[in-house]
Formats: sequence, C-alpha cells, structure tokens
Amino acid sequence: MLNLEIITPEKTVVKDEVDLVEATGADGEFGIMPGHTQFLTTLRIGEIRYKKNGETTYLASSGGFAEVVDDKVTLLVDTSETAKEIDVERAKKAMERAESLLKTMSYDHTEYLLYEMALLRAIARIGVASKKL
Amino acid sequence: MATLRDIKRKIGSVNSTQTITRTMKMVSASKLRRAQTELEKIKEYALKMEALTGRVVKNMPEDAHPLLAAREEAKKVLIVSIGSDRGLCGGFNANVALTAENFARQNRDTYERVGMYVFGRKIRDYLGKRKADIVKDWVDIKKVDQELVDTVAEELIGLYLSGEFDKIYLSYTYFASAVRQEVVFEEFIPIKTPEEAEYVDYICEPERIQIVESLIPRYISTKIYYSLIESQTSEHAARMSAMENATNNCGEMVRYLTLVYNKRRQEGITNEMLDIVGGAEALRGT
Repeated sequence: MLNLEIITPEKTVVKDEVDLVEATGADGEFGIMPGHTQFLTTLRIGEIRYKKNGETTYLASSGGFAEVVDDKVTLLVDTSETAKEIDVERAKKAMERAESLLKTMSYDHTEYLLYEMALLRAIARIGVASKKL
Repeated sequence: MATLRDIKRKIGSVNSTQTITRTMKMVSASKLRRAQTELEKIKEYALKMEALTGRVVKNMPEDAHPLLAAREEAKKVLIVSIGSDRGLCGGFNANVALTAENFARQNRDTYERVGMYVFGRKIRDYLGKRKADIVKDWVDIKKVDQELVDTVAEELIGLYLSGEFDKIYLSYTYFASAVRQEVVFEEFIPIKTPEEAEYVDYICEPERIQIVESLIPRYISTKIYYSLIESQTSEHAARMSAMENATNNCGEMVRYLTLVYNKRRQEGITNEMLDIVGGAEALRGT
C-alpha cells in the first residue's frame, strides 16, 4: 500500500492508503506503485489520479512538487480540486477566454505564458470534471 | 486629597475601561479563532515544504544555487521583523522589536550594517525612534495573500542576490498555544540545510538542480506567508490575554476603590456625628 498525501496551502486534500498514484510530471506522466524507488519531480498542470480498492479518484491540480520515499507519496501542489468541486461552466468560460486571447497574442508577449497556464488549468479541470459521470 | 466625588468618578471611569477591555478581549477571541483556522490550513503545507526543501538541498554543492551558498564574509545582514500595526497586545511587538534591536547592538562590531525589514507600524515606530536602519516597512496590510508574499519574496531575494545584504534573518512570533507565544529568530537566506535532514538519493525528473531552482522560490514565499500567519495568530492571542489581564485588573481596582469610598463615607458620617454630639454637649454645659 502507498501512503498518499496531497497537500495544498489551503488544506490537506488527501491523506490515505492507496494502491496506485498517477500524475503529470515535468517529463510526462508517471505512475507510482508500492516499492517505487525514491523519486522527486516537479508537477505540471494536469490530472492526478489515485486508485484505492479498484476505485479511481480524479483531481485537477495546477502544479507543484512530488516526492516518493519508502512508499510515502507526498504531493505538494498549489491547488487541487476533485471532480465535484469543479465549476465546469467557469472552467469552460476561462478556456474560451484564454483561447481567444492566445490567438491574438504574439508568442513573446509578457502575458502569453500566463494565459497559456490559465488555458492548461481550464483544460485539466474540464478533463477531470468529465470523469465524474 | 481625593474627595468622595472624585473617588466615585474614578470608579465610573475604571468601570467603563473595563467594558472596553472586555469587549476587546471578546473581539480578539473571535479573531483568534479565525486566524487559527487560517493557520491550520497553511501549517501542514509549510512544514512539509520546509522538510522537503531540507532533504532536496542536502548535500547539494554550495555553488549549485546562489541562494544556497553562504558568503564567506557576511558584512551586511538584514533582519525581517514581523509585528503588527496595532498595540494593546502586551509584549507582542516589543518582544520582536527587542530581539532585533539586541541583535543589532550585540553585533555592532561584527557587521558593517544591520538592516531592518519591518512588518507592522508598532515595530517600525519603535526601531525608527532608536535610529535603526529600516530598509523597508510594510504597514496597513489588509490581507496576507499570495500577491503580497510574492512581492516580499522577490524583494528579499533581490536584496540578497544584488549583494546589498549577505545574510537575511527572519523573526516572528510563533503561536505555540493560545496562552504561549514565542519569538523566533532564525537564519533565512541563504538557505541552511538542517542537520537532521537525511540525504535521499532521488531519481529526479528533471535534473535535481532544476527542481531546486523552482523549489527554492516557492519555499521562500511559503515561509514568509507562514510566518505572517503565525504572527497574526499570535497577535490576537497576545491581545486576548492582555485584555483578559486588563479586565481582571479593572475589577480589582473597582473593588479597592469601592472599599476606599465606603471607608471615606463612613469616616465622614462619624466625624459629623462627633461634631453634633460635641456641639450638644457644649450647649448642655451652659
């Protein structure tokens, strides 16, 4: 069993024994199962999944850090929302706004990155929210 | 000599003071509760972040990152002192200010310059009066939020990297419990690896140094945020107990004054009676 902790500055989101954790790291998606080697990575905006007793829980996160030591998985993330907490309408609006702004903006614009992040966050949220059904 | 009416007036004034202190105590109590929930939220994250940073930077070569390397000659140090804008909270502000002042005095010969980076009007005024070298002061902070913390973190990192200061200390009041708060004074930048942190040979994605680069600014801003919240919580707790004491003292004073008042009144009556009896006696004699 893995000892999973997902902590944001707002609260401890998850503190549980789970079978499998998957998230998006700096170099792509990774999965953690019991017995994993010591591992450290930065997390990108995206989905976090964990499986417990065959049931998968999805979370949308906006990046942070992940550490695996001795079957203890600690994810320090900026935000993390479960499918239930996500306001899909808002995320869709945010996505549309970011998309239209990005289309008109040049790549080297100072706020380009900001909107790109907003877009990624919105996509992650919508992705997680759609798994609810 | 205080007349009866003076004493009575005094009792009235102490009573109304007591009403104020009692109200302030209750206000602080409810603010403390709110601050405590706020503190609970961030605490876990801040502690984990600190521990993680400790583990990750352990055994890193010192020159790997500019915020890790201790400068050989620390000539100019900066003290970040966190206090509050309002007084009436016992020794809360004085303790933090004194810590900074004492440090500056004790190390006057060691360091060329001891700068102060101050949060809160009270500490600013205190240190300002003593002609301390105040680099920056933050007063009237409405709400501690990410934006504020990021600005502060950026400024501190800038002050360090530009060479304006060689070492930065952080001083705030740690909220141990509602009745006990302690002043913390610790080295902040460059980041020191705690002795007890164990070295873990991670597989890193991306390179360890890249993780360190993104982790350190995050750690610094988290630490500042956390210290500010700790300090705020302590402030309310300190004010609550200060006001509780004040309320009790007022009660004691009223009791004492009432006693004096009654004694004085009785004395007056006795004197008057003596006068009457004396007068009557004198009349009877004739």
